[in-house]
Amino acid sequence: MAEGFDIDHLAKLARLSLTAEEKALYSSQLNQILGHFQALADADLPATIDDARVVDEAALRSDEPGPVLGAEAVTRIAPASRDGQISVPRVVDDES
Amino acid sequence: MADALHTLSAAELGRRLAAGTLTSRALCEALIARYQTVNDKVGAFTHLDQADVLAQADASDARRKAGQGRGPLEGIPVAIKDNIAVKGQPLTCSSKMLASLVSPYDSHVAERLRAAGAILYGRLNMDEFAMGSSTENSAIRKTFNPWDLARIPGGSSGGSAAALAAGLVPLSLGSDTGGSIRQPASHCGVVGLKPTYGLISRFGLVAFASSLDQIGPMARSIEDCELLLNALSSADARDMTCFGPSDRGLTPAGDAKKLRIGIPKGFLGKGVAPEVAAAVNAAVDFYRAQGCAISEVELPSADLAVPTYYVVATAEASSNLGRYDGVRYGHRSASAGTPVEMMTASRSEGFGPEVKRRILLGTFVLSAGYADAYYVRALRARAKIRAEYLSALAGVDVLLTPTVPTPAFKVGEKASDPLQLYLEDIFTIPANLAGLPAISVPCGKSGHLPVGFHLVGAPLSEAKLLAAGRLFEAAHGFAHQQAAL
Repeated sequence: MAEGFDIDHLAKLARLSLTAEEKALYSSQLNQILGHFQALADADLPATIDDARVVDEAALRSDEPGPVLGAEAVTRIAPASRDGQISVPRVVDDES
Repeated sequence: MADALHTLSAAELGRRLAAGTLTSRALCEALIARYQTVNDKVGAFTHLDQADVLAQADASDARRKAGQGRGPLEGIPVAIKDNIAVKGQPLTCSSKMLASLVSPYDSHVAERLRAAGAILYGRLNMDEFAMGSSTENSAIRKTFNPWDLARIPGGSSGGSAAALAAGLVPLSLGSDTGGSIRQPASHCGVVGLKPTYGLISRFGLVAFASSLDQIGPMARSIEDCELLLNALSSADARDMTCFGPSDRGLTPAGDAKKLRIGIPKGFLGKGVAPEVAAAVNAAVDFYRAQGCAISEVELPSADLAVPTYYVVATAEASSNLGRYDGVRYGHRSASAGTPVEMMTASRSEGFGPEVKRRILLGTFVLSAGYADAYYVRALRARAKIRAEYLSALAGVDVLLTPTVPTPAFKVGEKASDPLQLYLEDIFTIPANLAGLPAISVPCGKSGHLPVGFHLVGAPLSEAKLLAAGRLFEAAHGFAHQQAAL
């Protein structure tokens, strides 16, 4: 089942930067774990996933505004903020 | 003092508070003194704001004096796992990622506890983001089993269980995604209940795997566990899966001596330590002697539970943990360049090894070309497991197994073998996959180490699980047990 496992590609998808040692360790461990998952490939399983839900129906609430955290509370827990807004590295380069 | 306050049950403390022979301040001062002498040995708490606790206690005493007591939890301390939000308190999930986060809001369960007059008492250690079975994955500190300080307390709610066994607090909250309440409860000799999926709101619980996560009560006795469960259960529109107890109604307990108990075929076989099997078999014999009908039941897909769980849980975790990008809250790398570099560096610095392992695994099972082979097949296996459990529970009231195959292992013993650690959860995982209530009840010892048995019931059968536990507890000496420290 696990052919094509590419730790560099996975790390990129997951937005993780791994050292060479981490890549070797995780590759080995993930291959071992995925080997254990082989039981899923061999099992006789139902055709649908409908019965996998553990609640019959989710209760959708009405789409009405409710209490929210204010800007002060939000920026207080942000890693960096300025003038009541969260600051981040530049996303779009200046075109001028 | 006739009885040291830290040895008493929440129910007894409540009676003394109601009778006016005890104040919440005196209780909290006694527990703080206990904390100062014991917590460094056990490592259950990661944070305790003593001034805040005493202020809450004074407010509770004032309410009671004014005739405005809020019920049986008024003035009783409840310690909370560090992935459940309490306004103004740390919310670290025992991760570097959230090391400096102070919650700006209360979870639903924190609101419920405040409304019940309880004291929100400190933050409890856990495996990082609730990923683990030993609490060794905490980035903050190690937690040790109070019954043997060289051993793990279980996890991921290891702090919640250890705090109870060490007499640090009478009640605690844990969360359970694959056994994280019940497995540490078993290892520490306390009671831990995972409720029916949807009974308790997860609003304010940091998400790990949303189709599996539940908050639940932990205590040193069935009576205390029920007290806390009743306070927490209520519908909440902020968790769309939470219906609470009011819409459907809990199944009445009935006569515990007439319970039909199913023993899943083969569950006491390979991999179960002889002392654990002996303690669980003795519990089965006890129920038979009480008049309960004991029968063997078939759960043919039980072997699929662990792989199914680790596909579903890691897939959901890889999605849920995508929010930690260093932008809105949590760790932001100082070496930030472009936004993508900032996100990658922040996540790589903030997450620990087990969290990274699970994110990578979850990313893989959801990735193009593999999702059908892993994630979709796991959902199909989940449907099969759920159908088999519901079918078995149509013929019996509860299923009885060990909670964990072996007693608590030594710190570090399984740290390098994640697959072996994943197999710790083999008996507890199916209840999460099927959304069923389940409880771990102390039932014996393996040497000096506690052993628990595990009951699973049909949806909303919590009262039956508690009644069965109460029947056993009343005839044995395991309620209120604490380790000598």
